[in-house]
Amino acid sequence: MSGFIILFIISLISFTVHNIKVLKTISILGLLGSIIFSTLNYSVPLVGFELTSSIILFEVVLFIVIIATILSLDESIAITQTLFLTTASILLLESSTILTFVLSFEAISIISFVMVSFMRNKKEAMGAIKMFIAGSLSTAIIVLGTALYLIDGHSLLEPISSTLTNFGIFGIWLLLLGVFYKLTIVPMHTWAADSYAQIRPYYAGILSGVAKTVVVVATFKIFSPFILNTFELSSFILLTLAIITMTLGNFLALYSKKVEKILSYSSIAHAGYMLLAFASVKSQYAATGLLYIAIAYIFMQTAVFLLLDKLSNGKGDTSLEDLQGLGKTDKLSSLFLTIQLFSLAGIPLLAGFMGKAVLVYSVVDAGFTYVALIALLNSALSVGYYAWIIKHIYFSDTKTNKLAKVTNIVYISQAILLLGTLYFGIFSFTIFL
Amino acid sequence: MSSLILIFAPIFLSGFIYLATKKTDITKYLALGFFIFLLFKSVLLYNVLPTSGYMLLGEFLKVPQFSFTLTLQVDHLSVIMLILTSILLILVTLSSWSMKNQAGYFALLIFFSGAIFGVFMSTNLLWFFIFWELTLIPMYFLIGIYGAEKRVFAAVKFFLYTHVASMLILLAFFLLFKQTGTFELTMIKEVVLVTPTLIWWLLFLGFAVKMPLFPFHTWLPDAHVQAPAPISVLLAGVLLKMGAYAMIRFVIFLMPEESQKYAFVLLALGIISLLYAGFMALYETHLKKMVAYSSISHMGLVAIAMSTLSYEGLSASLFEMIGHAFIISPLFLIAGFLHHKTSSWYMKDMGGIMQKAPYISAIFVFAGLGALGLPSTMGFIGEITILLSSMKAYGVWVGIIVLGSIIASSYIIWTMRRVIYGSMSEVVAKTDFTINRVEFFALCIFTFVILFFGLYPAPLFDVINQAFGSMQSLGGVK
Repeated sequence: MSGFIILFIISLISFTVHNIKVLKTISILGLLGSIIFSTLNYSVPLVGFELTSSIILFEVVLFIVIIATILSLDESIAITQTLFLTTASILLLESSTILTFVLSFEAISIISFVMVSFMRNKKEAMGAIKMFIAGSLSTAIIVLGTALYLIDGHSLLEPISSTLTNFGIFGIWLLLLGVFYKLTIVPMHTWAADSYAQIRPYYAGILSGVAKTVVVVATFKIFSPFILNTFELSSFILLTLAIITMTLGNFLALYSKKVEKILSYSSIAHAGYMLLAFASVKSQYAATGLLYIAIAYIFMQTAVFLLLDKLSNGKGDTSLEDLQGLGKTDKLSSLFLTIQLFSLAGIPLLAGFMGKAVLVYSVVDAGFTYVALIALLNSALSVGYYAWIIKHIYFSDTKTNKLAKVTNIVYISQAILLLGTLYFGIFSFTIFL
Repeated sequence: MSSLILIFAPIFLSGFIYLATKKTDITKYLALGFFIFLLFKSVLLYNVLPTSGYMLLGEFLKVPQFSFTLTLQVDHLSVIMLILTSILLILVTLSSWSMKNQAGYFALLIFFSGAIFGVFMSTNLLWFFIFWELTLIPMYFLIGIYGAEKRVFAAVKFFLYTHVASMLILLAFFLLFKQTGTFELTMIKEVVLVTPTLIWWLLFLGFAVKMPLFPFHTWLPDAHVQAPAPISVLLAGVLLKMGAYAMIRFVIFLMPEESQKYAFVLLALGIISLLYAGFMALYETHLKKMVAYSSISHMGLVAIAMSTLSYEGLSASLFEMIGHAFIISPLFLIAGFLHHKTSSWYMKDMGGIMQKAPYISAIFVFAGLGALGLPSTMGFIGEITILLSSMKAYGVWVGIIVLGSIIASSYIIWTMRRVIYGSMSEVVAKTDFTINRVEFFALCIFTFVILFFGLYPAPLFDVINQAFGSMQSLGGVK
């Protein structure tokens, strides 16, 4: 909770600070302070919130990513929004009861609506509206599920009950489906593909990279006992959803022409991989696998979108042709982009590979060998479109260079994110606590 | 610790080397120096090896919960592969001496050397897989940036095809871990496996793509043709050998009983590869594609020798692997050189090159004779030992593999007739065939090795026999 208190205060202060440099300094100092408090395990005990060692690790990673993000930002409003999102993320990550989970989940949703409503043209408005409608629907479903769970005779102020009737199980499943809207699980994904590609890439990065992983980790923390209790039913539903999600996401990504669109679909596919950890919760590696891929994903997805935001000058809408010749004109940016894309594709020595490896092993460990094969083949298939982006960067000659020059501070922020990807790709003992 | 640096320093420093030297031309000297150092280190390593079993070089980055430890261990087989790899890397560097735009190229080669050393040194399955996949990255860029006209298609196809195959290997490794509780190669015993058949097939299919065996070879002609000639050497001499090495270590030695059961699959695919690729080479008029198919055909022979699961067979297969690396390389290099000079891949545009470039033609003819297995070349020793060992294991009917040699004679001699001899074509008449001295020197080394070990194979066989002699004591193989 100490991180929450620090960041909440800084977020409130940030409204009054107009000098961007001062604001950046204050927020980065605050985040560094939060890292120190988190690693010292100095926590304020509070009912409904609970801190575990894996959540501490994830929070530290989250703070590092946010530091890198804020470093490269140049609008104070975006910094304020990011800080608020981080604050709500801490609440969500640490919550241990249904009530705190639902409330902090809604807090994140509301902040993300505010983020996307900062729109400048019709395209971004379209993306924002799609997201808002889908988000409201998901909220409605979540509230309905929570109500059913309450009617079943359980307290919202406690961790999820282990004695559920079918009615209660239905309620929890409704709640989960509502959460899956945010996680872009097929068939609740349609808003995400459009929305992520239409809003400003920076926000797409924060929402798909940061918010989504935070929700995944928190959901796993709250609901894994429930899935373990109803394993037969839950694992069947979850496996089906996971297989459909990753396969569809990958195939749609193969057919996309815009970089942001490809990454949105790849984000959907990644949600599918992450769902596998929920389905194989029986295995002792499932929690580690999910934490690993979440940490890997938060680095690589945020980095890629952040760089796209800078390269396209905040406009987004980067087509593959725009990237042609980037390998010759901007060697560092293309190196960062390439390594992060390889990590997303699951190429070894990068965090993305190890995340997927531990995750898929947990699936094998839980006994779903054929599902593991499908996941691995999907991951191999995804190389098709990542390598295709890299092909445009390096193998094609420069045609029209529409891309903007990138400043040094962006390189620094990208270097931080790259170090994270490399560090967790090699030093995996950090994750196995 | 020094072996750890040997692997990771090239991988992480290659990017800096590129950025630091991109405006100069010292990258190739750096690469050459580094590869000579690698050769030196591997020979040193060979001298301190115990007579049998593994030598532990160190354990790093321990994750006991996941049995995920970078265990670096070498035995004779892996050190032989290390020496072969370093020699080929040196020769590849020499062969690319006149390369333009070279900083990135040599930086990628340096990167590749780290990954490939990791493949041959690590005995932890997951780390082996990591290095195995890591070799794809430099290859993807080397083919995609420096290749010929259709390089992008070839690079993406190569990457995707082999990456998909690797997924089968990864799944097999996961199953091994689940059933034995360890990723450590030396700790896994076949008897405790629950589903040995499934694992065997997954591993076999995964490695068969890299070897490559029919019908999983289709990525290779594209990659070979589009890659720059020195990279074709690397593909044929190192990457294919990596597949064969893995087939020996992770299929035959890890699971001898299952291999015994399915040896016929290896034999059948080997024979089909040998004959099918031979016929394809006969049909081909594209010079480099002809060499590529000849390469597949030879790997078929290697597979046949492996399928005997005997001491002689494995020795013969390793000899053929080394011989093939040295014989096929000058053919690729000269095919690439001729393309570079005449701007044509097709034999119809060539002819009469002997009159204009006698030395290069002589080397081409000699390497060609090696490929068809003429006595006094390494090719002959390899083929005769394979023939003898497989006849010993399967009976006389296996003698049909000499058909492979007959086909090889046909396509090699016919190619020579069309490319080297015959009447001089117009294209050749107006082309200047001067070759860079360093590159010519590299070709001479290849020729010398083919001839030397063709006449006097004993020292090489001593080394090779020790590789399998030490494995024999581990049990499992007849």
